[in-house]
Amino acid sequence: MRFALSEDQALLQRSTREFFAAEFPMEQNRRVMEHEPLGFERAAWSHVAEMGYLGLTVPAAQGGQGLGAIELAVVLEEAGRQCVPGPLLDAMLAATLLASGTGQDALLADVLAGRRLLTIARDEALYAGRGTAATTAAQGRVRGTKFFVPFAAAADALAVTTTDGVVVANGPFQTTALPTFDLSQRFAQVTLDSPATPLGAPALLGRIDLLASVGAGAMLLGIMSRMLEATVTYTQTRQAFGKPIAIFQALQHRMAEMLGRTESTRAAVYRAAWCLDHEDLETTLACAAAKAWAADAARLVCGEAIQMHGGIGFTWELDVHFYFKRAKTLEQHYGSTTVQLERALAAAGY
Amino acid sequence: MDLHLSPAHLTFRDELRAWLRTNLQRPWRDELRDPAHTEDSLMELRRAWQRKLHEAGYLGMDWPREWGGRGATAVEKAIFEAEMAHADAPQILNTLGIGLLGPALIHHGSEEQRRRFIPPMLAGDEIWCQGFSEPGAGSDLASIKTSAVLDGDSFVLNGQKVWTTFGPWADWIFVLARTDPKDRYGGISFLLCKLDTPGVTVRPLRQMTGESEFGEVFFEDARVPREQLVGHTGEGWRIAMTVLAYERGAVGLAMANRFGRDLAELAAACRELGRTDTASREKLGRLVVENEVLRAAGVRMLATLAEGRAPGSESSLEKITWSEFDKRFRETALDLLGPGGQLLRHAPGARSEVDWAREYLWSRAGTIYSGSSEIQKNIIAKRVLGLPQDGR
Repeated sequence: MRFALSEDQALLQRSTREFFAAEFPMEQNRRVMEHEPLGFERAAWSHVAEMGYLGLTVPAAQGGQGLGAIELAVVLEEAGRQCVPGPLLDAMLAATLLASGTGQDALLADVLAGRRLLTIARDEALYAGRGTAATTAAQGRVRGTKFFVPFAAAADALAVTTTDGVVVANGPFQTTALPTFDLSQRFAQVTLDSPATPLGAPALLGRIDLLASVGAGAMLLGIMSRMLEATVTYTQTRQAFGKPIAIFQALQHRMAEMLGRTESTRAAVYRAAWCLDHEDLETTLACAAAKAWAADAARLVCGEAIQMHGGIGFTWELDVHFYFKRAKTLEQHYGSTTVQLERALAAAGY
Repeated sequence: MDLHLSPAHLTFRDELRAWLRTNLQRPWRDELRDPAHTEDSLMELRRAWQRKLHEAGYLGMDWPREWGGRGATAVEKAIFEAEMAHADAPQILNTLGIGLLGPALIHHGSEEQRRRFIPPMLAGDEIWCQGFSEPGAGSDLASIKTSAVLDGDSFVLNGQKVWTTFGPWADWIFVLARTDPKDRYGGISFLLCKLDTPGVTVRPLRQMTGESEFGEVFFEDARVPREQLVGHTGEGWRIAMTVLAYERGAVGLAMANRFGRDLAELAAACRELGRTDTASREKLGRLVVENEVLRAAGVRMLATLAEGRAPGSESSLEKITWSEFDKRFRETALDLLGPGGQLLRHAPGARSEVDWAREYLWSRAGTIYSGSSEIQKNIIAKRVLGLPQDGR
């Protein structure tokens, strides 16, 4: 038994941390998030593709790395920590979905090489509880309206869920941007009336949902680790009443709580990833619990980071708000807490 | 990462499960709901259960065989606890003797002390209680005032201990006493005292649950033979710290099993009572999630032990995690059950699957005993986060 990463996994973690630190320094991330309309840069994106991240969980026989959910979590934790903007999680999930269907070898090769961007279009409403699945795919055409499609303005193709299964539609698409407060992520509303080829049955999404839970949970974990580090550092620098404020027990106990949330999330996310890789009976429950817990924990940890930074914590100048906002996106997408609680109850047989 | 139990650990677990199927007659919850039982008869049942475990070699799991232990690893000990919780086995009677004093004697005691005290401790013939806390020394344990003054071949004890779990059922007490009033930590010694010693008075202390598992112990010129000093004079604090690390142990998985069982009962009760509305489902769902997170943390702890690393401050996080969850869980349970959840065990109409009222009250103890949540957070702030200390 061993919870620590294997040598290969630890190597992946180190190289990923170094790569993201070099390719996505925070000053650059801020510039991209604030000024780049697509929300990411093509040049950096092809470097991400060269590293093999996009096909991390795609079988080796199909040109991917053939790795599992643990490696996915390792990479996305680092992406969360470094606040890497862009469609990393979305593209990894879409590539995995594409590889699990049939007849899309050419597109898959382009996606893995970073030549074409593919994301998944699923949501059918702007607000919770308002949608009924209405997108159809008949006679080779997909028709309908999808909401919160990740990076749709930049996407060359979309994997679209329809009442007739999952299809692949090629762009360009008619998109309307849906700007939210999170600048690390871009969403659009997409009106579809385009040729489409079938990819497979809706059941393909089962594994993607589990991977999405682990992936988003891992990004949230990276966000939390970074926010805790920032808070521990800042409170030891900031002086009040002639002392570093970290000396006050009122703050120490809250930082201890932040650590507790972060480490329990680490246990939950990596156990879920391990279960997924080993087809453990507890997989569905473990994944749902990890994502639901990570979402609440990250909101608390980022919120505490803002609070303990004081006034500067509320400014645009400090990086903390980017993390706080991204945590909310990750909470409400990739299986919202409501969805995860239902999954957890169903998996537990309650 | 590898979260599979090793083949040896699987064998150990399967043998233990088989043993439990043969030897555990009724789960503890069934004993509790049996109206024929009294507080005393439940204690006797725990003594009998302890003897059974002892005969089967399941007591003193991680002690050397030489001292009646099993010589097992920390992982096997954690698996043992998890399986006991899973099967809802009774607790042993001598939890404090075996959990705390045994390790203290093995690490710090003399050959004669081990020979004299360990066998009856394991057999359940001598029950121990713990004399650490005092009315004026709880979280700040080093401020104890009970004094031990050497007079000839005896220490003369004066003072008062409180929250002495099992006080009313115990034969012996292990006591932290002050042998030097000027040396805060180095002036504390670790003594063993028979409770029928002249000058020792035990009084039951009624807890908020209505039970009297706790007691108070008063010492008025009680004479303790010098041979009953563990370690040297002034080593008491160091011994106590070793012992408390054992007390926290690796219990996350055991707790997740215990809560998981009650959670399944709560889910069934909600179905039966028609509490299937969205708000109730969300509450239940959050409990399921949190218990899974506790389980994951427990699995991680088990793996940490298997890697041969001592858990250290991680046990502080684990203790906060399970004890704070216990409170939220029991609160939500009563919330979902409605006023009927408050009914006492044998009241007409009381639910029998779990003693919800008792668990609700008991959950208030876990975040206080064995180092309160606040003390655990102090430990984390200092040792894990490395935050500056302000004279604490």
